[in-house]
Amino acid sequence: MNHWFSRRHPRYVRSLVYMLQASEYNIADFFKWHERTRDFRTVEKRKRLVFTPKAIALFMAGWAALGLSLILAVLIFSNASSFWGYLLAFAILFETPLIILLTLIAAVFILGLLQRPVEWFMVARARKRLAAHHGVKIAIAGSFGKTSTREILKTVLSEGKKVAAPADSHNTPLGIARFVQGLKGDENILIFELGEYYPGDVRKLARTVGPDWGIVTGVNEAHLEKFRTLERTADTIFELAENVDATRLYVNGESPLALARAKEGNIIYTREGAGAWNVVEARTSLSGTTFTISDGKRTIEGTSGLLGLHMLLPLALAADIASRLGLSGDEIRRGLEKTRPFAHRLQPMHWADGVTFLDDSYNGNPDGVRAVIAFLASLPGRKFYVTPGLVEAGPRLREVHEQIGAQIAEAGIEKVALIRNSVTPHVENGLKKAGFKGDILWYEDMPACLSALRALALPGDVILVQNDWPDQYA
Amino acid sequence: MKTIAVIFGGKSAEHDVSIITAHTPIIDSLLASGQFDVWPVYITKEGTWYADKAMNDIGFFKDPDYETNLAKQKPVRLSFEKGLDLVWSGVLSKSVHIDVVFPSMHGTYGEDGSLMGVLRMAGVPFVGCDIFASAVAMDKVLTKQVVAAEGMPVVPYAWFTRADWAKGKDSLLAKIKALRAPYFVKPVHLGSSIGIAKVKNDKELENAIEVALHYDDKVLVEESIEPLLEITLPIMGNDEPRTAECERPLNKTEFFDFSDKYLSGGKGGKKGGGSGVNTQYSEVPANIGDEMTKKIKDLGVRVYKTLGCTGIARVDFLVNADTNDVYVNEVNTLPGSLYHHNWKKAGVSNMELVLELVNLAEERFAATSNTTYTFQSDILKKVGGSKTQS
Repeated sequence: MNHWFSRRHPRYVRSLVYMLQASEYNIADFFKWHERTRDFRTVEKRKRLVFTPKAIALFMAGWAALGLSLILAVLIFSNASSFWGYLLAFAILFETPLIILLTLIAAVFILGLLQRPVEWFMVARARKRLAAHHGVKIAIAGSFGKTSTREILKTVLSEGKKVAAPADSHNTPLGIARFVQGLKGDENILIFELGEYYPGDVRKLARTVGPDWGIVTGVNEAHLEKFRTLERTADTIFELAENVDATRLYVNGESPLALARAKEGNIIYTREGAGAWNVVEARTSLSGTTFTISDGKRTIEGTSGLLGLHMLLPLALAADIASRLGLSGDEIRRGLEKTRPFAHRLQPMHWADGVTFLDDSYNGNPDGVRAVIAFLASLPGRKFYVTPGLVEAGPRLREVHEQIGAQIAEAGIEKVALIRNSVTPHVENGLKKAGFKGDILWYEDMPACLSALRALALPGDVILVQNDWPDQYA
Repeated sequence: MKTIAVIFGGKSAEHDVSIITAHTPIIDSLLASGQFDVWPVYITKEGTWYADKAMNDIGFFKDPDYETNLAKQKPVRLSFEKGLDLVWSGVLSKSVHIDVVFPSMHGTYGEDGSLMGVLRMAGVPFVGCDIFASAVAMDKVLTKQVVAAEGMPVVPYAWFTRADWAKGKDSLLAKIKALRAPYFVKPVHLGSSIGIAKVKNDKELENAIEVALHYDDKVLVEESIEPLLEITLPIMGNDEPRTAECERPLNKTEFFDFSDKYLSGGKGGKKGGGSGVNTQYSEVPANIGDEMTKKIKDLGVRVYKTLGCTGIARVDFLVNADTNDVYVNEVNTLPGSLYHHNWKKAGVSNMELVLELVNLAEERFAATSNTTYTFQSDILKKVGGSKTQS
């Protein structure tokens, strides 16, 4: 009954617009979500509807559909002279939610058609401006770690250069075009994230940006639901290589699928170093990471607020790019020192009662999960690992989640808190198969889980929240 | 799923502290456990009872208009017909059967045994000390008298009522002056250090007594131990009590008052997972050595058992830092926020603490159910009949 009533609740229009926006106006994804939803009054759990011009237009279209349906039903009812007239009036009244839904879908199509020439014009203008821009352009592609790499590069390079990069995860053609519009022209370095959702996406963005340097952060199962095969994912990510000189393309050497695609001349980077720079004596703890990095001529005692040895990859990469772009050893050292954990990416919080909370809720890819489990295992104290599992693992969903379970078991984590959904039973299977000796705790949703862990935690405990599902998957 | 009522607020100077305790850790942990249907039952300062699940969120009470919002609601009544039921009367009447009660009331009408009396009449299991221990512990003088009678050390003291003071102030002052100054003046029935003052001279003494008599009708004046080390010890259990850690309050003012306990936490960096009471004001475990720790823990358990405490209580001690002499100071049968910060240091999480207290309540209730309170008698038949004299 909740489902029936919530579709007739005034909130329904707003919920549909929010669901369209959160699905990035992908109708297939939107319908999947719509089918799963039982109560349309409570879909905005993690985020809120952002009233962009497109959202406002859809919001108005939805309400107009609602108003017109009701007026039409009343008019037909008051003028009805036969049974069929009354039936039609009631049918319109009864099916108002369907009318709203179809109106919004039609509106999305129409707006898409109207938007296409505008988008084409904006992207063309951005491409032209970027071609004329004298700054060094760095493009980052990959299944994971793009935003962290961008932010680390920005922090390090900003010590000696004027650097600009789109905020948040603006990695679509329109997002990049808007960013380019705001450039002053005096920037030394521009850093771009190239998002990949469908084959051809990275090529399109790379052609817009015209990168001087490229970085492939890795290839894995993130977005596999859309790509269906890892082969196709790698093909799409390596579209960047078509637009960058081979000797100026960095490839993550710790990602087997990326490494397999690396070509002669590419610069392979790992946690042991990047280009001319080698990393030794690395240590990590809850207060950050320390390491020594040297290119044979200069040696830097590096420190960073970032947690986990896996962060040495982007740190070494940043040191190499910085030195190639002319930063001094001192500037590189200062830049590395200023790197700090980003919001929701292994971000530590120390509660007053001596519990450490690690927010890694934006880390939803298998490589990131493996790295963070290893970091958690290296910490003292009792550890809680919390996860709702990963999304978009597609055909490898079972395998990916069983692997996570096995990694947790091997790491000797004491407590695992799982959110009840379609994927976490696979994590449980992985734990059991690997002979997990700790406790498995089950919760209905993330808020309930966090409340319970807050009540269960003792001083010295570490609670790690790995990934949090966006509303469209919850 | 069991239904549990958490009762808080009430006609007490510690009304607001009671709201904090009810939420952190009690309601938060009960909800987080997923094992209970939690009904918050709030008693206003005027004595009206309300129950609404919206009050499970402490944010309800942070709203400056919460009293106005409450006034729009239907008060709840208690029915003892089949155990304890919450009843909302009216055309659309409703009732909720309560399986267990978690009293979270500090001070008068709650911690003093009054509420426990009501719950005993209702025949419902309830958490914490029963009526007898609560009533004795509520009276600091009575506590000293019971503890001293069992041969445990207490600081020399004098006591009197408001009526005594009005009638014979001079003789009482003379009696007090027989004690060694400086003194502590305390209202006998209040907790959370409300109305307590340390005095060094006669003028301050009279003022402090007037203040204490403003809050209470019975006042205790006792010697101040110098140099003083205060130690407090939370204890949990029924027949086999277990102790938490000895805790030493880190006084900011000359003595540890209400502000130190509940309001001075601003700079401690209290973030998520905060405690409800200030976690920065004390040293846990107290750095007093193994021997003193053991001595205090043993004495604490003796006091707990002597008063007949069950569920949870906190025993406070005064220690002469020079001589290491230990004195029992007072017993608190509902420590603020259950002293969960201390229990955590002892390895007991909020959820374990709260669930264990519910278990203890049910255990005590089951044991009490085996006690026979009635017996067959024919005395009524004999009323009014011919009297025989042997």
